[in-house]
Amino acid sequence: MFIFAANILLFRMITNKIYFLFFLFFTLKSVVAQQEKELAKVEVLEEVIISATRTIRQLSSLPLPAQIIAKKEIKAINSIRLSDILNEQTGLITVPDFGGGEGIQLQGLDSQYTLILIDGVPLVGRSAGTLDLNRVSVGNIKQIEIIKGASSSLYGNEALGGVINIITEDPKDGINGNANYRGGSFATHDISTNLNYKKNKFGINAFVNRFSSDGYDLVDTDAVNTVEPFSNYTLTSKIAYNFNDKTKLLVSGRFYHQKQDNVANATLKGKSELNEWNTLAKLDHTFNEKWSGYLEFYATQYNAEEFLNDEIGNSFFTSDFNQNFMRPEFRTTYQLNEKNAFIAGIGLTHERLKRTDFLGTPVFNSPYIYAQYDGNLTEKINIILGARFDDHNEYQSQFSPKGAIRYKLNDKIAIKSSVGYGFKTPDFRQLYFDFTNATVGYTILGYNAVKTRIPQLDADGQLLSVIVPVNAFDVNLKPERSTGYNFGIDVNSFSNLKLSLNIFRNDIENLIDTRVIARKTNGQNVFSYYNVNEVYTQGLEFNAHYKFNENVTISGGYQLLYAKDKQAESDFENRRVFARITPNSPSFRLKKDDYFGLYNRSRHMANFKIFYTIPKWNLDTNLRTTYRSKFGLFDTNGNSYLDQYDEFVNGYTICDFTVNKTIYKQYQIGFGIDNIFNFKDPQNISNIAGRIIYGTFNFNF
Amino acid sequence: MRVMKSFKILTVVALAILGLTACSNDDDTTPLIEPRSEQVVNLHAPQTLDVTQNPPVASGDFVKFDFSTGATTTSETDWDIAFRGTTILVNGGASSGIAEEPERTGNAGAYMVDNTFANVTSATATSVVQDSSTGLAITTGSGNGWYNYNPELNSIQPIAGKVIVFRTADNKFAKVEILSYYKDSPTTITPDIVANDSRYYTFNYVYQPNENVTTF
Repeated sequence: MFIFAANILLFRMITNKIYFLFFLFFTLKSVVAQQEKELAKVEVLEEVIISATRTIRQLSSLPLPAQIIAKKEIKAINSIRLSDILNEQTGLITVPDFGGGEGIQLQGLDSQYTLILIDGVPLVGRSAGTLDLNRVSVGNIKQIEIIKGASSSLYGNEALGGVINIITEDPKDGINGNANYRGGSFATHDISTNLNYKKNKFGINAFVNRFSSDGYDLVDTDAVNTVEPFSNYTLTSKIAYNFNDKTKLLVSGRFYHQKQDNVANATLKGKSELNEWNTLAKLDHTFNEKWSGYLEFYATQYNAEEFLNDEIGNSFFTSDFNQNFMRPEFRTTYQLNEKNAFIAGIGLTHERLKRTDFLGTPVFNSPYIYAQYDGNLTEKINIILGARFDDHNEYQSQFSPKGAIRYKLNDKIAIKSSVGYGFKTPDFRQLYFDFTNATVGYTILGYNAVKTRIPQLDADGQLLSVIVPVNAFDVNLKPERSTGYNFGIDVNSFSNLKLSLNIFRNDIENLIDTRVIARKTNGQNVFSYYNVNEVYTQGLEFNAHYKFNENVTISGGYQLLYAKDKQAESDFENRRVFARITPNSPSFRLKKDDYFGLYNRSRHMANFKIFYTIPKWNLDTNLRTTYRSKFGLFDTNGNSYLDQYDEFVNGYTICDFTVNKTIYKQYQIGFGIDNIFNFKDPQNISNIAGRIIYGTFNFNF
Repeated sequence: MRVMKSFKILTVVALAILGLTACSNDDDTTPLIEPRSEQVVNLHAPQTLDVTQNPPVASGDFVKFDFSTGATTTSETDWDIAFRGTTILVNGGASSGIAEEPERTGNAGAYMVDNTFANVTSATATSVVQDSSTGLAITTGSGNGWYNYNPELNSIQPIAGKVIVFRTADNKFAKVEILSYYKDSPTTITPDIVANDSRYYTFNYVYQPNENVTTF
């Protein structure tokens, strides 16, 4: 507990005084002098994944659709933020959210349905549902694990579409570190350093990153930049202590701070500020050959503040978002024999949110329990069976089972199939929001705020009539639920060619939307949330990886996607939907095939990458291409659905090029161009800035 | 048998001719006026929003429209429908309670159908509802009535295939298709247009000037 507290203290100190780092650095350097430098062991192992089963598991034999992005690839493309690297993966795309932030779309599901973890514990701070991936620096990442398909059987809330787990480096034997710089277009600078020390029982590492940019402006005609200038800091540290071979303690902390200009128009200006803390303490103990136990305590806090002042400095707008999340968990693994393993866990999630425009300070408490069996029934058949039960102080409890099977036809071909449940409880906003728009005058009430606020608004004389009676809100708002089906084939026909195909379908029910619940005397409406929509996403994903020779690797990926609203589909089928091409042309009736699907989904996405190493010159180069077919952002022909007569955002291709050269083993210089052909779509795509030219410098010591 | 059948047909034809002649005689005495098909362009329905109050309060005079003249009017009694912002009132029923509503003196009402404008060929009198204290005949709010609200652009877009059938204050019928809420019906709505050129209705209508005739 002392170490835990000390760790937090260390973070607070670093925020205040950067030179503490130099102190730490020189301490470490002096330790070096006293002992032989131990080089980190280079281990050649089969790729292992821990997110899929919460045990160390060989990726190649997993019955679930999963993917690993190794540190090597992150380095090879000189990626700096999580969004950069995820955008290049098959079936993944980051899309800007109009509330701000850049979230991930996975198997066609919105970013709010993918759980984002760092070292197995969740990031919080989704003020409008999206978790901004630009918050995460990749400078200290060991690997990124992506599990596709509903995974609530292990992870509970939010794991409807899948899970992305960011595994950061653990302290490794020896003393070493690195310093990195990347500078490029838009006055973007990324400076970071990793420091590592481990000897015998004690290990520590630290990562410090500063990332800043002048932002960019895609539309010159207004006073607002597309991305305003910002700077942020990430500080992380892990302290590991092995009491003996059987008992290990790991304490880690992360601090993130960002400041950004906040501009609404020519006269209203201010700042926005983010502060985020994560602390994790984990105690591992191996009881005997069969039993192991893990005790984990995680706490995180996310705070976002922003304000706008008018020309003479009077406050026009302030907002504050303060979320606390705490989770103790105990898990145990039982290895019956080589073929059968069990894992079980029990824990409690405690969450609290304080926010402007909120009714009270809501608290969520959710105890949970889960268990999973992972067994090889025969040489050829591997199955995973698991389930989780989440209780909740606000909702009906959730039971989420999952089953997966992998059948090895022969040495070259394996088929795998899985079915799982996923759920997402309504977030605080959908329950406790109490917001009245200052310029237009409509009101949005969270579901649980309705019963208190509607009678109050009525008593104040603000309501004309109530459309949905208050007692309709007696029954709790239901969690959004999904059932995910995946079926895949892996083919390793030649030793240097790997092919994999996965067919997926996600059925989501009780999707939450807004509706009018009352009319106001000012001519506006009161909105609240309700369960209504049923949507599905289905498609296939194909990946090919070909190692041409020692120096050349080629890979390609493709995703076909259909993402549709079931109600909309039936409206089209029953020919209840009309369109009008120009405001002066008559409406006409649409056919079933005219329905395109959900907004911001592309039917086709593809990527193609060549990695080429020239050993003679110590040179690594690569060329990467990503393609996204047309998509619609909103309805343009007056029916609120996306149909083939709407205006679409054109499909596009982005090409990136990187070259890195190693000098004297310790130094690396790099050069790259992201978005070589300077693709931009200012009206529709705000997160593509245009061509970015950059240089990098790395130093390992 | 054959002769019998021919005779029957002949009789039917003869009766039909007789009947038709009789009908045309009636028409001659009270001729029906042809339904009038027109487009109203840029009917300005301003609304002021007092944002110094929390919540903001919408106010301003409703702009009244009379189908029989096909023009706006300031008459207190001789109007059929009235516009202010996205709100449309009918001259029939009871006050809905919003600020500065004109007094309803007629028997107007309305209902909405999902169809193409051309395919709405008659009005169903029993479907007509009137304004009341619990709501307006033309319901308000995005997706509830004649428009969708786009929160990203802050714009109003008429829903395609929504035809409003009105009963006028004096019990005639009209059908209306709203085409645009912006001045000169721009194809692409920009933030500039939303700020400066909104609340200009353009709509097509067909007015059936004959009493007790429900076809268009």
